[in-house]
Amino acid sequence: MTLTATQRSTLPGRHLWQAPEFTLAVIAVAGFAALAVATGGNLLSAGTLGAFFRFLAVPIVIGLSQMVVLAVGQMNLSVGALTGFCAMAAAWLMLEAGLPAPLAVLAALLLGLFAGVTNGVLVVLTRINGFIVTLATMTIIQGLRYGVNGPDTFQGYSPGLREFGRASILGLPAVFLVALAVAALVALFFSRTVPGRHLLASGGSPFAARLSGISNDRSLIVAHGLSGLLAGVAAVLTVAASGSVNATIGDDLLLPSFAAPIIGGVALTGGMVSVTGTLLAAFLVRLVDVMQAQFGINPRWVDLIIGAVVLGAVLLGTVRTKLQERSD
Amino acid sequence: MTAQLETPAPPDAPPRTPHRVPLWANPRVGLVVLLVALVVLFSVLRPAFLNTRLTLTPLQSDISVYLVVGLAQLSVLSLGHMNMAVGRMAATSAFTMGLVHDKLGAGLVLSLIAGLAVGALLGALAGLIISRTGVNSFVVTLAMDFALAGLITILYSGVTGGVAFPTMPAGMSELRSDTFADYCIGDVCGPRVPLVVPFAILAALLVGLLFRFSRLGREILMTGANQRAAELSGIPTKDRIVQAHAVSGLLAALGGFLLAANNGAFSASLGDSFLLPSFLAPVLGGTLLAGGAVSVLGTALGAALTQVIYKGLNLLQFQLDQLQLYIGLVLLAALSLDRARHVLAERRGNRA
Repeated sequence: MTLTATQRSTLPGRHLWQAPEFTLAVIAVAGFAALAVATGGNLLSAGTLGAFFRFLAVPIVIGLSQMVVLAVGQMNLSVGALTGFCAMAAAWLMLEAGLPAPLAVLAALLLGLFAGVTNGVLVVLTRINGFIVTLATMTIIQGLRYGVNGPDTFQGYSPGLREFGRASILGLPAVFLVALAVAALVALFFSRTVPGRHLLASGGSPFAARLSGISNDRSLIVAHGLSGLLAGVAAVLTVAASGSVNATIGDDLLLPSFAAPIIGGVALTGGMVSVTGTLLAAFLVRLVDVMQAQFGINPRWVDLIIGAVVLGAVLLGTVRTKLQERSD
Repeated sequence: MTAQLETPAPPDAPPRTPHRVPLWANPRVGLVVLLVALVVLFSVLRPAFLNTRLTLTPLQSDISVYLVVGLAQLSVLSLGHMNMAVGRMAATSAFTMGLVHDKLGAGLVLSLIAGLAVGALLGALAGLIISRTGVNSFVVTLAMDFALAGLITILYSGVTGGVAFPTMPAGMSELRSDTFADYCIGDVCGPRVPLVVPFAILAALLVGLLFRFSRLGREILMTGANQRAAELSGIPTKDRIVQAHAVSGLLAALGGFLLAANNGAFSASLGDSFLLPSFLAPVLGGTLLAGGAVSVLGTALGAALTQVIYKGLNLLQFQLDQLQLYIGLVLLAALSLDRARHVLAERRGNRA
């Protein structure tokens, strides 16, 4: 489901197989099948499959968190650090402040929302490029994240939350289902709600949006706020899915947060989002990860492959656009 | 040394901020004031800040490294592009330097030249992909960063069996530890300036000259200001994009070399810390992300300011987390002040 301000997908002459998501879906299915065969069916065993989807939850949500700001043509470099900070804060609230798990979860979400709105307000007030603003807030949040507990690890928090992190419904991990639900909500937000459509309009053409009576400033704040909230969701999922958290959480999330939407076909210039594409891309990246683990490849090859895949996906998109323009 | 295009913007371009800003609204002046104020503050709080051997000499080495790294970013900011792979380009070049020396037995100069060439080639490759496909520079260099990060570790473990080369070319340890005070002609000795400083000053001068006076530099800025207008004026914009990125890769390689000299080893983790400072220095110095204007002097001041803050907070025994917190806050404050100054200056200009 690629959504643009002009709803390109409803234009005549576009078939399902022409959608960028279709290529991704084919690659994802083929890759999954190939890996299942290559591992002799090991991938399909309940334990491996559960782990596969359990650790897909955070990459999906963090990719969506970046996608939301890309939709208004901005970037949020602080997503990874913010996820780590919210996770540390939630663990601290449960262990040191003795708060019950639901309250700590709520607090982590609110903290993410607050940090995101702060990013947005700073961008609007100072008119400084969002890249630079979030670069600065990333540094600040990294400091705060380390400040919660220094280099030490939090573990042994709420058994209920851990239970939720390990739980499965119909064979699928609960955290993965939460990530899917969040993705559905984000898709709904962009396709059906007024703020969502405004956001895409602002991203597509700020000038035209302003002439149509849309407040670009509000779109910026909404986008950054939503991005922060999603980072908060990623933090909660991290706390639930992994038994312990420390100040390094989120360091390895920044680059994947860009990789998922970009492979998924989201333009950096704003004005369009693709929830399905982001989901599929996160799936692909996870597939590469599992392949590395299954065959005991040097983990460094994963970086190399993901780099090549990102570049390849973007090049493919450019070639496709050119071909389509020629055939039109 | 600010290089800015003074050609009028074409009618279809969005209105640009006026080029004439009063002296007090010049970000460089603000930086100098801030720099002096911080040096005085740190010296009062910790007299050890003015200790030449322990503080000022290492500080100069650090500023040299990050000035060159900032210039690497500045070269592509001039286009309105970014180089997210600046650290890995430096690390790959440093690997080449180590390889050429360790396996082929080349000397310092030859290793340096080989490393710089690899850096320039990597940059040119990024530029080539960007200009030929029209894909955003952020994406291309980010993907390149991913790929190089993997490659570097594989190369190091394959060639050295570890994460660093065991040997260094002759002369590297002198670059690290000596200052000009160690070299005397008769009774006259040089100042206590590390040997790496001239590299950075030379690089800054050359980049300044490039963007101010050379045809190539002016055409790169023109491409950054408005690619279409530049194209219509007969500038081969695609070549200019490749060349600007090659310069960026070359400077990243030089930054990697200087850091390796300071650290005393060609190692895989070299350049990991380059990304944030590479943006800090030029942006603090007033170089826009939009392209079309650069400030080399501002970049030097920006690099000096960040390193003075790091060194000062270190001496005051701030913890790592507080250090990051304050660096981020200072960055935000400096940028917001800069913005406020600009708004005030524009308003005053309109009234006059």
